[in-house]
This record gives sequence, C-alpha cells and structure tokens, in this order.
Amino acid sequence: MTATATTPRVPVSRDPRVSRLTRVTGSPVLRLIVKRLLMAVPIMLGVTILTFWVLSLIPGNAAEQLLGAEATPEDVALLERQLGLDQPGVVRYLEWLQGAVTGDLGNSIVSRQPVSDVLADRLPVTGELVLLAFLISLVLAIPVALLAAHKPGGIMDRISMVVSTLGLSVANYVLALILVLVFAVTLGWLPAIGYVPLEDGLWANLEAMILPSAAIGFPLFCFYTRFLRGDLVDQMQQEEYVTTARAKGVGSWSVLIKHAFRNSSFGLITVVGLNLGALIGGTVIIEQIFALPGIGQMLLQAINTRDFVVVQAAVVIFALVAVVANLVVDLLYAVLDPRIRYGSR
Amino acid sequence: MSGERTVAYPAGDTLVSEGVIAPARAGRPAPARAGAAGEPLVVVEGLRVQFTRGGRKVNAVNGLSYRLEPGTMMAIIGESGSGKSVSSRALMGLLPPTAKISGSIRFDGRELIGLPEKDMRELRGGDIAMVFQDPARSLNPTMKIGAQITEAVRLHSDLDKRGAHARAVELLKLVRLPAAERRFHEYPHQLSGGMRQRVMIAIALAGEPRLLIADEATTALDVTTQAQIMELLVELQQRLGMAVIMISHDLGLAASYAQHVVVMYAGRAVEQAPTQTLFANVRMPYTHALLGAIPALDREPHSLFDVTPGQPPDLSALPKGCPFRPRCQYATDTCLQAPPLTEHEPEHLWACWHPVGAGAGHNSANGEQR
Repeated sequence: MTATATTPRVPVSRDPRVSRLTRVTGSPVLRLIVKRLLMAVPIMLGVTILTFWVLSLIPGNAAEQLLGAEATPEDVALLERQLGLDQPGVVRYLEWLQGAVTGDLGNSIVSRQPVSDVLADRLPVTGELVLLAFLISLVLAIPVALLAAHKPGGIMDRISMVVSTLGLSVANYVLALILVLVFAVTLGWLPAIGYVPLEDGLWANLEAMILPSAAIGFPLFCFYTRFLRGDLVDQMQQEEYVTTARAKGVGSWSVLIKHAFRNSSFGLITVVGLNLGALIGGTVIIEQIFALPGIGQMLLQAINTRDFVVVQAAVVIFALVAVVANLVVDLLYAVLDPRIRYGSR
Repeated sequence: MSGERTVAYPAGDTLVSEGVIAPARAGRPAPARAGAAGEPLVVVEGLRVQFTRGGRKVNAVNGLSYRLEPGTMMAIIGESGSGKSVSSRALMGLLPPTAKISGSIRFDGRELIGLPEKDMRELRGGDIAMVFQDPARSLNPTMKIGAQITEAVRLHSDLDKRGAHARAVELLKLVRLPAAERRFHEYPHQLSGGMRQRVMIAIALAGEPRLLIADEATTALDVTTQAQIMELLVELQQRLGMAVIMISHDLGLAASYAQHVVVMYAGRAVEQAPTQTLFANVRMPYTHALLGAIPALDREPHSLFDVTPGQPPDLSALPKGCPFRPRCQYATDTCLQAPPLTEHEPEHLWACWHPVGAGAGHNSANGEQR
C-alpha cells in the first residue's frame, strides 16, 4: 500500500454506439430497483397463495355470508354458482391471478364494486394514518434521543428511559382506549371516532387523525428513542472519529449532531424501514377502534364476509409496501453512506 | 452525489497555493515563539488519573511528571497500560468525566486541570492538537475529508467558507497529500492508510498548534509508510516550530526521531533523558529490560531473549513501593519505598534505588534519597 498511489478515473463512455438505453440500465441503482421488484414477484405469489389457502380453511363462504343463516342449501348453491364459488380453489385462484397480473384486481364478491375503486377510497386513509404516525414518532424521537444521549445517565436520559419503557410495555390498542378516554371523553378536545376527508378542511381532518396516529406513533416514538439513544451513546463512547472531532475543539452538541447522529442515522433508517411492514398490519386494530375507513378495516370486513377478492387486494398492498420500504431503505443507505455504492462489486 | 465524483476537477491546484489566500500561514518559517524562550511549554507535575471500573479503582496514571521545551520532539515510551495515552488525553481534556484527575498540567504557564470546558475547547485543536493511532477509525466515515479539515479550520480562525476551503487545500498540500484538490472531495474510505494519516495531520495542523501529540500515530501503518509519516512529522515540527509529544511503544522509533525520551511504567515516569544520553547510559532496570527485548541481527541464533518475567502490575492493586519491584532482579527491601524521579546526572532522571551501571555494584539507596 503506497501512500502516493492515485486511483485512475474511469471516463464516462461517450461512445455513440452505446445506446442511451444501455447506459440507463447500466446504472447500478436502477439495476438494484429492477432486481428488487423482480424479487417481489415470487413474494407476491407466495403471499397470495398462502392467503387464499388460509381463507379456504375458514368455514363458510361468501354465498353463505350474503344469504344469512336462514338461507336454504339450494339458494346457497345457486348463489355459489353465480359467484363462481363452486369452482375448485386452484381454478378460482388462477382466475383471480390472471386478472391481477393484467392490473385488474377484480370486483368485490359482496358489493360487486371494482376493488380498485375501493382501494382508491381507502388507501389515502391508511396512508395518512401511517405517515402521521411516523412523523409524530420521528419528530419527537430524534430530539429526545439527542437530549438523552448528550448526557448518559443525566436527568433527560432517565426521564426518557422511564417514558419509553412505559410506552413500550403498553399495547397500542390499550393506549388508543386511554387516549380516547382522556382527550375525547374527559377533556373533549378531540373526536373519539370517525374520519373527516381532507377535502372538508385540513384541520378537521387532522383533528380526526391525531388520536389514532398518536396511538400508533407513541410506541414507535418510544422504540426509536431507545434505539437511537443507544446507538448515539455507542458512537460517542466507542468511536475514534468522535475523539478526533472533540480533539479538533468541536463542541459537545456539534459532535453529537454533526458527527455521531449522521452515523447513527443508518441504524435508525433500517429500523424505520423494517417497521413499516409491521406497522401497516398494526393499523387494522387502530382503524377498527377509531372507525377509520382504511385498508385495515376493509380487510377485517372482507375476512368476515369471506370476500377473498378484497382480502387478496389488501394482502397484495401490504406485501408491496413491505418490499418497497426495504428497497427505499437500501437506496437511502447509498445516499447517506458514502461507503456504499451499489454495483461497484 | 455519485455524479459529482466523476467530474474531473480543474487543475486549480496552483490557483490557491500561490499568493491569494493566507500564504503566510502554511509557508511561514519556523517562528521563535515569543515569550516561550527558556520556559518549558508543558510542565506536568504529579499527574494522577483514576478511573472507577466495576467498583474497582484503576490508577491509570500515578504521579507522572515531565517537562517539554517548546519546539522539541519528545517521546513517551511504555507498554500498553503504562498510562502514556491516558496522560496525554488528560492533557487534551479528552478523558470521560468519570475520570478523576489530580496534580498539575501547565501549558505555557496556564493550569489546564480544572480549566472550564469552554477554554479547554479553544485549546483543543488550537494550541494543542492530536493525531491518533488508527486513521481508518479516526476520520468520520460519512464526511468528505475536505469538510473534516474545513471544520477544524473554521473553529480556530475567522476565515469564511471559501477561505477555509483554500486553507484546507493548503494544509493537504503541506502534508504532501497527492492531488490535494481532488482528495478534498473524497471520503476517508477512498484513501490509503498513509494518506488518511496525512489527512489527520492536516486536521491537527489546522489550528496552528504549538504542541502536537502523536498518539501511536504510525503504529497502524506499514513500515514504509511509517517512515514517511515520521519524516513528515519531523519536517513539520521544524518548519512550524511546534513541540511534538510522540507516544509510542517502539523504542527504535523514539531513538530515531525524538530529542527527549520519557519511559513510563505503571502510570509513572521511571526514566527520562535526552535520547543520546538515555540510550548510552540506561539506568532504570525496566528500560534496560526493554532494550534487552529488542531483537538484534548480531544476536546468537536460537539464543533466548532476556525476557522480563511477570506482568505489568494490576493498576487497581499496585504493589507497595516501586511498581517494577516484583519483576526486578535487583529489587531489595529498600524498593518497598517508592523511589522518586530525580535528576541523578545532568538532564538524566530516573526513579530507582538500584540503577544499572551507575557506579560499582548497586548503590545503597540512602545516598540517593532526598
């Protein structure tokens, strides 16, 4: 290893024979995206097959649910035939799949509405809920973790430790009920249930969303605070670059924010990304409690009515979100961590 | 981000180095620092550092004393755990708040122990700078090296962003980093170990220090690079008129570059002298043992080394008296009293009742005692 060697710079190809397309597909980032999306295909297939199979194990089908308990077996059989439920499971799945790959998620068995219309109504609700929950948790967690890590064992550190341990040990639906009791019932500041679309005013919309997103966001905040605080303290106490920064005369807050936090952010991003998949599943309960017309609520209703077309749509959405979240995390690494350059082998 | 890196930088290297920006700083001749004449730059007296680890008190430094003249290079030698690193971090005020520090460290006549953090911060990276052992871990992996140098420059000068940039490039040239302008925009992982250590030195020089502490600064480098970095340090020391404390476990390195040597054992200085004097007349049995452990080419093949038996003492349970006593072949009951570090010969200090080769046999301790 010689100290004077310089790495030669590979010139960007200006060869006109190299088409624009090859240059674009040659981009390592694009390759990563394509690779991940291709990997999503078997994941989607697996998830939907599994869902379909599990759903078929639950007694009863959509025809029985639609007609109610008093229906004669003849009526049920007739409706089954009309809905195509008399077909073997494999055939039904393949039919659904055929539509799904062409972008047609089918019609709800129960309401006959196109599933894409249902999703268009419900996705924004769940999306907003998740987004707000993340926003609340991160906006609070980052400063609190920085304050706690600035003086480990100090008063801020202890307070944040107590609060976050408390928050982590309470299930989010219990927290939801407590929040409703305090802020809606006792204080009357916020509505207990219901959803107001964004078109009816930003404030009215936010008012309805604060409690549900807080119920999801608070445990997340606790988790992120603990995680980030731990990572920051590790960086501050164990990493030599922190000592270098201090030896330069950088103040303790600047060392923490400019140096340590930057390095700690990779860990935080990973955790946030991994959370997203689990979190969107967690909205099912919260949407139920707060009567929010989101994907989670839709999923629960669809399971009750054995509306497998809708269930599949929800499952596909959840799986897609998980895949995309992981992809975004990996791309963010490349942006934030100069040591990672995709495709540089 | 990645696109930026493929841009070929203009050959602007010459633009900054000549004229325009602060040429007086980097290119200045070694100034005889006013007011420093005759006065030691650093006076350490009875320095003690104690940590509490798992309820046990660990005495990392036990009454260390030394003096450092301005513009000279001094080596502090010792094995791991001898307190050489801890004592220099105490000097920089870099020890964790849990460390109990007592004694006195005077820098340019100013007491550093108990100095408010705000004042200490001005000194750190300003008058006193430090280069660390492992350049791979000592640079922030997520920041461009230019930004890391500029940060130091701006902390210790009132240069604006552009001025600081120019100064940083100048510093990179001063430490002979090839293609300084381009390297400015690179990340630490894109540089070799030697280049990273040059960057570390550039950062250290940003505040025009009067004292540079090189804490095992070449240990993590291969031998060729090690020599290059040492040459650079010596050259800079003379050119900029800095004092350098070189912390090392490598006696050979100290002998080649330092003017003064302090040998540490179990948290205290056991022998101190100008390099020539020390290696010509080793007095302290510990230093003697260290020298005996260096392999030499003219050694009889397959002969055994004079390995010093035993281990350095447990710093949480130091032996009574001289810390080297349990391992020392000359030890007597006199050694149950700790020998003070005394100037027995001109400029040659040692802490031992039974120095090697001083007079016939072994001196009776009482003659030397004060």
